[in-house]
Amino acid sequence: MGAAFVALPLVGLLARAPWSRAAAILSSDSSRTAFRLSLEVSGLAAALDLTLGLPLAWVLARKAFPGRTFVRGLVVLPLVMPPVVAGVALLAALGRRGLVGAWLDRAFGLQLTFTTGAAVLATALVSFPLVVLAAEAGLRSIDARLEQAASFLGASRWYLMRRVTLPLLGPQIAAGAALAWARALGEFGATLMFAGNLRGRTQTLPLAVFELSQTDPRGATVLALALVAVSLAVIVALRRRLLTP
Amino acid sequence: MRRSATATFLAVALLATGCSRADGGAPGTSTLTVFAASSLTGAFTQIGKDFEAANPGTHVAFSFGPSDGLAQQIESEGTADVFASASGTWMDDVATKVGVTDRADFAKNRLVIITPPSDPANVRSLADLARPGVQVVLAAAGVPVGDYARQVLTNAGIAKQVLSNVVSNEQDDAALVAKITSGEADAALVYSSDVTSAVSTDVKAIPIPDPVNVIATYPIAVVHGTSQPDVAQAFVAYVTGPAAQATLASFGFLPPG
Repeated sequence: MGAAFVALPLVGLLARAPWSRAAAILSSDSSRTAFRLSLEVSGLAAALDLTLGLPLAWVLARKAFPGRTFVRGLVVLPLVMPPVVAGVALLAALGRRGLVGAWLDRAFGLQLTFTTGAAVLATALVSFPLVVLAAEAGLRSIDARLEQAASFLGASRWYLMRRVTLPLLGPQIAAGAALAWARALGEFGATLMFAGNLRGRTQTLPLAVFELSQTDPRGATVLALALVAVSLAVIVALRRRLLTP
Repeated sequence: MRRSATATFLAVALLATGCSRADGGAPGTSTLTVFAASSLTGAFTQIGKDFEAANPGTHVAFSFGPSDGLAQQIESEGTADVFASASGTWMDDVATKVGVTDRADFAKNRLVIITPPSDPANVRSLADLARPGVQVVLAAAGVPVGDYARQVLTNAGIAKQVLSNVVSNEQDDAALVAKITSGEADAALVYSSDVTSAVSTDVKAIPIPDPVNVIATYPIAVVHGTSQPDVAQAFVAYVTGPAAQATLASFGFLPPG
């Protein structure tokens, strides 16, 4: 029954999609532009998540410091926070009149809102916890004696990280990054709020689905199914790691 | 076993949806579900309270949103007793696909330009929106206020220039007002009724001359299949009556005539 609960909306989409127009909708200029932008934005977001998330995961897993529980809670927050709230928060911080944004605007004439960069930041924020959680869990599962042994045998910290820790952690990082990427690909609320909706600049695939649904609701189901197909591909690619105990 | 579990689930689900539609609880009370364009949020919230006061035992529940989205929800789910649209187009759509009765135009609305109070891009008239570098936000095409805005720009002969200044196509007028009050964008085209007392200090409104402006007509109707046609008809009559018309006028709407 649980499976039916998940499957039913998908069947609904499949039933409503106007298949005869599917090819035309998917190959339209706006769809192709949105596809390309979505890949770019979600790819950059996943890269940003890894850059900021891996060092943080290492600190959380290996260093005891006061407030560690608090920091861990903070990191998980974007996962449970409504994306629209994340968007409002980003505006308050980095918007043209925001806490930091106003200063960026004054000092450098730099405006983030309505740019592709804003879309990357919004999607990176909501997908960030997935990378940190996966990497931290991975770091905790590594047998500390392996690292100790390497260290005892004279490995430098960098060598240890590069040749022992990261290779052991590789699959976990890949899984976390793939999930974060998929989450970034589907991001809607925070992007619409912080980056707006403009074709070719901030209109990612979910926003294109929204805009098409204003004028062509049935056509929008085709685009929605394309997104589902990509998500499904991620799950299939990760199935060994995620779906087997 | 499996079949009975599924049956239980369906029963629970049907009960749940049944509750949200007919609602009630205490005997003698009924809930009227009204789907209304988001530009009506302030005026209809007030009108709903007045209608409840005039009809004890009646509760009015509103769902405010973009007219196109509401129309689609009514067509696919049929959960509304009354529909108030920001454009005849979406009312026609519901009339064709679901059916409506007691249809009447109850208000008109015109467009204005809004900017942040500081007016960072120095916008004084419609023509200023065409100046390169002015960050303009509009509602997406298909959303009534977005279509009206494009019509105004076409009337003024500056559609091409202004559309190239658009930095975002937002989902409704409320989102446009938010982008201006927060100072993120330089100018937006919204309904005059959007410049409510709540936001009047956070935005500057600039009128658009009547010859190029678009006057939006708002129709209201009872949706076919309602479980309480009497209350629905009473509400439609109330909205077109003098008390509600005065409320609508105080929220910046023009009379329908």
